[in-house]
Amino acid sequence: MNVRAVIWFLCLIVMGVLTFWQINAQNAKIDGDILSLIGREHHDGDADQKDRLSDINIVRDLLLSDANQVIIMMSHPDRDQLEKASRTLAQHFRDMDGTASVSVPGFETGDARSLYGFYLDHAGGLLSQKDRDLLINGDGQRIYKRAVQSLYAPSSMISAQSLASDPFSLLPGFLAELGDKIGQSGLVHKDDHYGTPIIITLAPHVRTSGFEADWVKHADDLIATATASDDALLIAKTGQIFFAVSEASHAKSDVQRIAVIATFGVIAMVVWVFMSPLPILAALLTVGSGLLAGITALVLVFDSIHAIALVFGASLIGISIDYALHYLVLPGSSGTDDTRLSHVRPGLRLGLLTTVCGFSALAFTPTILLAQISVYSIAGLIAAYVTVATILPCLPARNIRDRAAIRLIYQKIDTVLLAVRPSNGLRHVMLVLATVALIGAAFYLPANDDIAALGHGDDALIADARIIAETLGMGGNPQFIRVDGDNIQDRLETGEAVRDALRPLITDRRIGSLFGLSDVIPSISRQNTNRALITSQLIEPFGPQLQAVIPVDISSTQDTKTPLEPAPKILAAIPGLSGLQRGETDIIRLNAVKDVDAVRDAISHIGQASLINPRETITGQFARYRVWASIALGVSLLVAGLVAVLRYGFPDGLHVVAAPLIAILCAVSGAFVLGVTINFFAIMSLFLVFAIGADYAIFTSESRQHGTQDATRFAVFLSLISSVLAFGLLATSSVPVVNAIGTIISIGLISAWVLSYWMCAGHKGNDQRTTHPQSRGHQ
Amino acid sequence: MTKSLQATKQIILHIALIVFLAMTGHVASARADAMPAAKLQQIGDGQYLAGVFRLDRYLAGFEQPLVSKGAFTLSPGDGLVWQNREPFPDVTVMTDRGITRIGDDGSRETIANGAQFNQFITLISAVLSGNWDALSQHFTVTERSVEMDVEKGVENNAETDDATDGDSASTWQIELTPIAGRPIADQIAHITASGRDFVDHVRIDKPTGDHDEITLSNQTAASLPLPDDIVALLAGQVQ
Repeated sequence: MNVRAVIWFLCLIVMGVLTFWQINAQNAKIDGDILSLIGREHHDGDADQKDRLSDINIVRDLLLSDANQVIIMMSHPDRDQLEKASRTLAQHFRDMDGTASVSVPGFETGDARSLYGFYLDHAGGLLSQKDRDLLINGDGQRIYKRAVQSLYAPSSMISAQSLASDPFSLLPGFLAELGDKIGQSGLVHKDDHYGTPIIITLAPHVRTSGFEADWVKHADDLIATATASDDALLIAKTGQIFFAVSEASHAKSDVQRIAVIATFGVIAMVVWVFMSPLPILAALLTVGSGLLAGITALVLVFDSIHAIALVFGASLIGISIDYALHYLVLPGSSGTDDTRLSHVRPGLRLGLLTTVCGFSALAFTPTILLAQISVYSIAGLIAAYVTVATILPCLPARNIRDRAAIRLIYQKIDTVLLAVRPSNGLRHVMLVLATVALIGAAFYLPANDDIAALGHGDDALIADARIIAETLGMGGNPQFIRVDGDNIQDRLETGEAVRDALRPLITDRRIGSLFGLSDVIPSISRQNTNRALITSQLIEPFGPQLQAVIPVDISSTQDTKTPLEPAPKILAAIPGLSGLQRGETDIIRLNAVKDVDAVRDAISHIGQASLINPRETITGQFARYRVWASIALGVSLLVAGLVAVLRYGFPDGLHVVAAPLIAILCAVSGAFVLGVTINFFAIMSLFLVFAIGADYAIFTSESRQHGTQDATRFAVFLSLISSVLAFGLLATSSVPVVNAIGTIISIGLISAWVLSYWMCAGHKGNDQRTTHPQSRGHQ
Repeated sequence: MTKSLQATKQIILHIALIVFLAMTGHVASARADAMPAAKLQQIGDGQYLAGVFRLDRYLAGFEQPLVSKGAFTLSPGDGLVWQNREPFPDVTVMTDRGITRIGDDGSRETIANGAQFNQFITLISAVLSGNWDALSQHFTVTERSVEMDVEKGVENNAETDDATDGDSASTWQIELTPIAGRPIADQIAHITASGRDFVDHVRIDKPTGDHDEITLSNQTAASLPLPDDIVALLAGQVQ
């Protein structure tokens, strides 16, 4: 016994060192971003390539790409002061570790010359929509007149080089329209303030190495310093990194608070009952080993640990304490350490088996979060069991104080609950009805998987994002249209058809702007049409007149031009396009969409184009996860029922599984009544109800085999207190999804505890007889 | 990409600004106490400047310049109206809201607009008030005095410190060189402006090898209000 305890203790020390090293070496980081949970299903082989093109993966990749961008909006009544402050702050950001690049588009021209030169070589096929419409309508006269005016205008962009390639000065119109299509303005004037963005691209290691919080803190310091130096300067910020850090901060804060209060609550309860520090040490060893093993498993298996998985980890205290209490309540007089352990070991093993079955089912659902929770829980509970089986017997036994108030309270409740004893027939009816009701609830209970309802939300960040979106048309919640096609030219033509279809919506401002590859590089078909229009509507009728003014052979300007094509080298030269093309799918980005349905209707006739609404897509994905989790829960109940029937026979085995099943129904019903949203995470929390509820029922049933009913029921009562303490505290979390989990689990566990009496406890008379030896022990 | 397209507006803005600034004839007035440009007549807030212009646009490889002539009106508080008379009539209106071209048939076409143009009047006001900070962000400014033989048209340049407070033939010259790295350096290589009471001549050299020469004459500073026809042109400017 002692040798096994020493070995296990050494194992725990190794786990601690390993985990400490992994976290400090930043081989494992804590991630608080909800988006990082999605689109990370397990794939292999061809399925990977297939899923690569799924909406959810496209959305995730696009949003992750956006996640590396931060927008700081500077606003000031004085333009010069704004420029000065913007340039200063931009330089500070450039100097920051973790910043890859910084641009101030309001005060920079970028690579205008190279871009102009790039298009100038292909100017003969490029037309703004306005000029194109004029030429289609046979109004080339206006363009010719404008071209002549440009020759003499004081603000003209013409040069000898531009006239040789673009004698009718069509390219400036194309470029100006292209700028409007992107929908981003470098410098705006609104409400007597000038506004300009500072666009920051984060270095990849910021997100991959858990450096976000440091970067955000440094950025906040810079912003605070800039704001303090000029009262008139207003600064707003947006970017996924700010929201992620805020959510992670809240989650961490909740974890610390819940863990501390739950731990002290459990310690107080144990001291109250045993009046000895040894049971506390035993409980802490059990809980600590569970947490340590869980975290070690996570850091070894996963590159990053999600904050929500950590919250569940803290809640694991409520489960692993059960095992310690189940052993500790046995009186020292009931035999040797081995004898005492033998009384509870079958129950612990069966409880552990059913719990592991339940959490294993979670691992088969296609989400990284559930996989993390599954690994955490299985490793933690196994470790807690091993601690109870190896280390706790080495500690001297301490008996329960019979006069402890908590025991007196228990005895009164115990008497009341034992007085209610459903017949087997009634138990069967309850089981059947609950099963039917639960199946019905799975199909008909209204669910809401909206991702927007999951997070805590930061009012200041949300307000900043809204201000930036309204002022600059940047940031916000973008929508996308995916364009599929084997051939790039087909996709470009589809992109042009999408723009044509959505133009009315842009005109009546139901869409702010849209931008895609076909805006930057028109299809060859469109370029050929443009060339034909320019030739027939401009060169032929007006070429000779223009040639009389400028010594350029206008008739030959269309002869030597090759079409503009999206060669990889060209795409790489235009950074804005890098995220808009992937494989055989092109992406069109929509900004400031006010009517999603109108967009969907407008493009419905374009077979190769479909709208991707990130929020809808992610919500749909979570809905699918919810269905998977529900199926896994059903499978877990079936497996648990099978195990219980094998162990206890029929019908007692069914009674054992009936307790957690009905408890799950109570939790779902209670959540519905309290207005708690039924979503993927709510279903997930029902797994905990199942696991702990099954433990209660199994411990209670198992105690009848060993004549330890009273002690076991008291242990379950103490477990319930500790569990409700932990999970009840979850209900106080500011993170809605954690709050919902806490509420559901609290209701479910209380129900499971009551049902363990009604479904699994023996008769009162039997209890009194079997508890007699323990009572002597307590005396 | 955004930056590049943003640059299209910036280019137009910078070109317009240069014309505007050059035309005010007050680019040198800030250091009027020490410079030959002390003779430069300043325009007050309640005044406007009017005159005629000739624009010679020299394009590389073209044997002859593109020549246009017309009249201009500049109001620091309102903007610039550039009225072409030759080789054909049309009007370009530049204000802090943007640039609009008005055809001889009255049709209006917005060439550019946006918040970038808000600095238009701001910079003009800065120049008129002798605040060089606005220009010094974009240009290195060098001033020289010029002894000109009016009859022969021969210049005798001298550095500013040697400037003479001379006779009516004495004029001034100012050179604006874009600061390296500034966006305007992509569009402008060098600007030379010269004059006496007002700016009389501006040469704008571009990186492409092209250059514009603007000659201003018959300039007068008058008190507001602007003539009705000018007011009408300005009133129709882009909103």
